[in-house]
Amino acid sequence: MKLLLPFHLQKVGSGFPSPATDYIEDDIDLNVHLIKNIPSTFLIRVQGKSMNKVGIHNDDILVVDRSLNPKNCSTVVVSVNEELIVKTFIKEKNQSFLTSESKEIKDKINLTENPEIVIWGVVTYVIHAL
Amino acid sequence: MLYNNNKIALVDCNSFYVSCERLFNPSINKKPVVVLSSNDGCVISRSTEAKTLGIKMSEPYFKVKKIVKENDVRIFSTNFALYGDISRRVMKTLRQFSPQMEIYSIDEAFLNLSSVKNENLLEHAYKIRKTILKWTGIPTSIGVASTKTLSKAANYIAKKEKSGVIDLINSKKTDELLSEIKINDVWGVGKQLTKFYIKNGINTAYDLKKTHNGWVKKNTNVFGSRTAMELRGFPCISLEPQEEKRKNCCVSRSFGRKVTKLEELSEAVTTHCLNAAEKIRLNKQTVKKITVFIRTSPFQIGNNYYANSKDVDLPIRTNDSIMLIKQALIALKSIYKKGYRYQKTGIIFSNLKDSDIYKKNLFSEINNDEKRIKLMQAIDHTNTRYGRNSLSIAQAGLKKKWNVKKQHASKIDTSCFNFLPTVKIA
Repeated sequence: MKLLLPFHLQKVGSGFPSPATDYIEDDIDLNVHLIKNIPSTFLIRVQGKSMNKVGIHNDDILVVDRSLNPKNCSTVVVSVNEELIVKTFIKEKNQSFLTSESKEIKDKINLTENPEIVIWGVVTYVIHAL
Repeated sequence: MLYNNNKIALVDCNSFYVSCERLFNPSINKKPVVVLSSNDGCVISRSTEAKTLGIKMSEPYFKVKKIVKENDVRIFSTNFALYGDISRRVMKTLRQFSPQMEIYSIDEAFLNLSSVKNENLLEHAYKIRKTILKWTGIPTSIGVASTKTLSKAANYIAKKEKSGVIDLINSKKTDELLSEIKINDVWGVGKQLTKFYIKNGINTAYDLKKTHNGWVKKNTNVFGSRTAMELRGFPCISLEPQEEKRKNCCVSRSFGRKVTKLEELSEAVTTHCLNAAEKIRLNKQTVKKITVFIRTSPFQIGNNYYANSKDVDLPIRTNDSIMLIKQALIALKSIYKKGYRYQKTGIIFSNLKDSDIYKKNLFSEINNDEKRIKLMQAIDHTNTRYGRNSLSIAQAGLKKKWNVKKQHASKIDTSCFNFLPTVKIA
């Protein structure tokens, strides 16, 4: 049988032991907090323009979870015109749309009318360097 | 008829490398796409569209160049960093459907579904397929049956079905389906066996199934009869959830161009040794024998062909890169001949065993050993943290002019911060 010895964080010395040892935890692991579903989550870098209202800027890194279904106002990655792009997902009554920050109407896409457009994943976090 | 309660699913990714390339590149979604082996040599993955054009598996690139040009086929060199990461994601997703799983290759896994009720099997398989597609973006085919060989056969048929799923356990047409599978497409039947079976009138999986077992046993070997038994629904090959540790480790590459100098060959051999040594250290193994081989192109005419290899029996077991490189280079020097244009070199570490590097030999220099173990650990840590070959050995060369051609590789690596896929804002 294996005998497991207790693991001490502090070396046993002759001095007064650090009173903090009882409170020491592991370092914060951002993965645990930012990635809920490991196999379905991808990091994707933004290239080009920004989405100021949403708070996404050029060169930011998006945390994208493919396993989630978008809710109203979700930021999503979609495949449109043979390209992966970031859009806002809008649900109105029985219809869903993709919008962007530009005011042009042609940029609003009705998903119900364009079944070939696929939602690639839902953006859950933005990593932005200041 | 059911002889047992075994339920095994074989999940296989469709055109896996192509599917990985498509994941971040929707512009090639409906186009013919092929992925070429290292040095852009042979076709190793094809999209359905490319298959329809008549591009065959393993065909040399130069043979299909015409079809490629005429049909705007998209060509990719391998990007194993990407394929490896996507494979890990697929396997992780699969694991939640069954704790008993055998990863069979980069794009295939056997799952034990014995706990699923017969009437729910099909639905369960659809759910697996749907989840893998949604989470990882990779389309799969699933074959469910009572043995591994039958699940492979079911998968073979599932690949051709739009639904992508075939369940032989609830099927009444098993024999009909088996007669659609040619004998050489049966799992475990190799080239030699195929020739032998065809000579004896066994042309399909169904033919083999109904052949008398005594005959198969007498005329082939234990593996041959296992395959036949499994086709009849008797499980003979069990699921192996634990990956068996490898007994050999081979690293070899064709050069991007022909190489004549010993210095360049040495760089390549050193690089291969570093890669292999890292692999065996990761598996906590040591090596006792190294083989180094070199050869020119087999298509060289006349006296220009040369191939040779040399085995080195090491005095003590080791996984120390520096020591292994030293030995490999001595071996290389002994077989190198001037005046040849070399196409390929490689090394094989054989007789691998679990490491007992602390066991000392009469001749080992004790102090050095421990320092070297720490050095190797430091190298491995650095390379895991900062990427492959961040810390190398100068002998491996910096420019590596001989290195493989990868003209069409996508530069995406989903597991490396510097090469993440990109997305635009519109």
